[in-house]
Amino acid sequence: MRRGLFIPIVAVLGFVFLYAPIVSLIVFSFNESQLVTVWTGFSTKWYGELFRDPQILGAAWLSLQIAATSATIATILGTLAGIALTRLGHFRGRTALTGMASAPLVMPEVITGLSLLLLFVSMEAAFGWPAGRGFTTIVIAHTTFCMAYVTVVVRSRLVDMDRSLDEAALDLGATPLRVFFDITLPIISPALISGWLLAFTLSLDDLVIASFVSGPGASTLPMVIFSKIRLGVSPDVNALATIIIAIVALGVAGATLFGMRRAKN
Amino acid sequence: MKKPQIAADTRPWRDPDAKPFVRIRNVTKTFGDVYAVDDVSLDIYKGELFCLLGGSGSGKSTLLRMLAGFETMTAGVIEIDGQDMANVPPYERPVNMMFQSYALFPHMTVENNIAYGLKREGLPKTEIAERVGELLKLTRLENFRARKPHQLSGGQRQRVALARALAKRPKLLLLDEPLGALDKKLREDTQYELVKIQETLGVTFIVVTHDQEEAMVLATRIGVMNEGKIAQIGEPQEIYEFPNTRFVADFIGTVNMFEGVVTEDEDDHIRIDASSEAGCDIYVGHGVDCAPEQILWYAIRPEKMVLSRERPEGDANITHGLVQDIAYLGDISMYRVMLDSGKRVHVTKTNASRYDEDGIRWDERVFVSWASDAGAVLTS
Repeated sequence: MRRGLFIPIVAVLGFVFLYAPIVSLIVFSFNESQLVTVWTGFSTKWYGELFRDPQILGAAWLSLQIAATSATIATILGTLAGIALTRLGHFRGRTALTGMASAPLVMPEVITGLSLLLLFVSMEAAFGWPAGRGFTTIVIAHTTFCMAYVTVVVRSRLVDMDRSLDEAALDLGATPLRVFFDITLPIISPALISGWLLAFTLSLDDLVIASFVSGPGASTLPMVIFSKIRLGVSPDVNALATIIIAIVALGVAGATLFGMRRAKN
Repeated sequence: MKKPQIAADTRPWRDPDAKPFVRIRNVTKTFGDVYAVDDVSLDIYKGELFCLLGGSGSGKSTLLRMLAGFETMTAGVIEIDGQDMANVPPYERPVNMMFQSYALFPHMTVENNIAYGLKREGLPKTEIAERVGELLKLTRLENFRARKPHQLSGGQRQRVALARALAKRPKLLLLDEPLGALDKKLREDTQYELVKIQETLGVTFIVVTHDQEEAMVLATRIGVMNEGKIAQIGEPQEIYEFPNTRFVADFIGTVNMFEGVVTEDEDDHIRIDASSEAGCDIYVGHGVDCAPEQILWYAIRPEKMVLSRERPEGDANITHGLVQDIAYLGDISMYRVMLDSGKRVHVTKTNASRYDEDGIRWDERVFVSWASDAGAVLTS
């Protein structure tokens, strides 16, 4: 019986450790008080306040746009890189490309951000593009590091995929392009979806790189939250965080359900 | 008078004027320094079921992949139906392949898997449906048309793969270890089914296999491959009874091999001194292209040897030893006999009678003998 209790206790402690902060955040987002740590009563007023705050709404919309755009570009480029690394055989510089494609994974964000900032500044000085920093530069920056993640995900799926599937389609008269759209793409599509979701989340979450490469008037949501926190934690940030958690939870649940249904079929 | 006529019709490789359907000329394929396929020349005729037999790394799969167009040749020429295949990509070759892993498209139903090649050809919908229906019937898959590959058993998948490869009515069908993934019972049933389908459709089959028994059952002819080269090409019986090298003799079936020195070299017979290995002289009742004092090998199959308690008559092809082991396999019994020379031989005997009270037992001393034409003389 002792062994029977040990595991549940450890499990509960583990879950408390992981989720207590999030639960307290959600609970306090419904707190009436201006003070974050003192509970005075239930209220949804901070949610109302949140939706009347044009700065937060604007930042959220910008972040979503950036995340969607860079995730899409990163998925396309990352897929192409993954295919090049797995399907083109041994071309010159393959090992170098393999290393370089995954280097952004281990690169400190500060360095990525700083180097991209320097690049954008010197590019603007050299030929006037990108003029100023903002949406475009953040998308480019996020695409670069998200692409590395997508490449890794897609590549591992492609390595697992039976090459003879492609060959069978070629053998049955499909041109290589046709094979890609008929066979390869549908089979690796789960990897593309999870790659896209990963890139989307990473972009939505990024503060450091965005801070380096964004310009006036283009503050992403993490940037806005961070600057708000510096002036003291306000309860409307809790409300915002709760909404984000709800969206993420829904997304994960949806993806899991989709995956289960796919597995069943 | 009729017999030779039939023989010539069904065995075009025996007719020197017959035009081969697949011509493989001096084909070589290297991967780095390794010769995967080394100067292979091979003719395959229309309607044949040709087996490429060899161990792993013998180059048989590489040769097959070159026929399909997945590998480029380092040197040589491949012609299919008179057309040089050098610059023809896989999707334009009149060839279809059945893959070892079956390579069924996991996201498509059985029906769509089979129809895939026909859709690429751009056939009208009604014709595609008709042909898919025929193939489903041929491979007895009508009830599974809407299933996905992972909902099928191994044998069903194998049949889908076959149906898909046959759908485009290729002139040549390549099969890579087609029965490899099936269990023994299913294999045996499927082997005959495969032959039946091949005969019904008249398609030329080239089958790659490492299983010599499978090759014997399926093939009209077998090409034994070893280290990238063709070791021997012949009908199953030829390969078994008249192997041309020690490798082939040893690779196909069980064989007893004696090394010896030629002592008599006449037009109508030779005599080999094999006392060190066989413990007796070997008399071969036909002439052999060899010279006195030459070292050669005598390969004899277990079923061509006879065990007896009494010494048979004659001064050669008789040796003696001790029965070490008897394996009763039902249809036959296999005896392992340790000869006095120290060499162990395998001898098999058909269990023709259900009662064998007086049979040879363990630890009995016996004579082992064979006829003068029972074995093959090998010079390499």
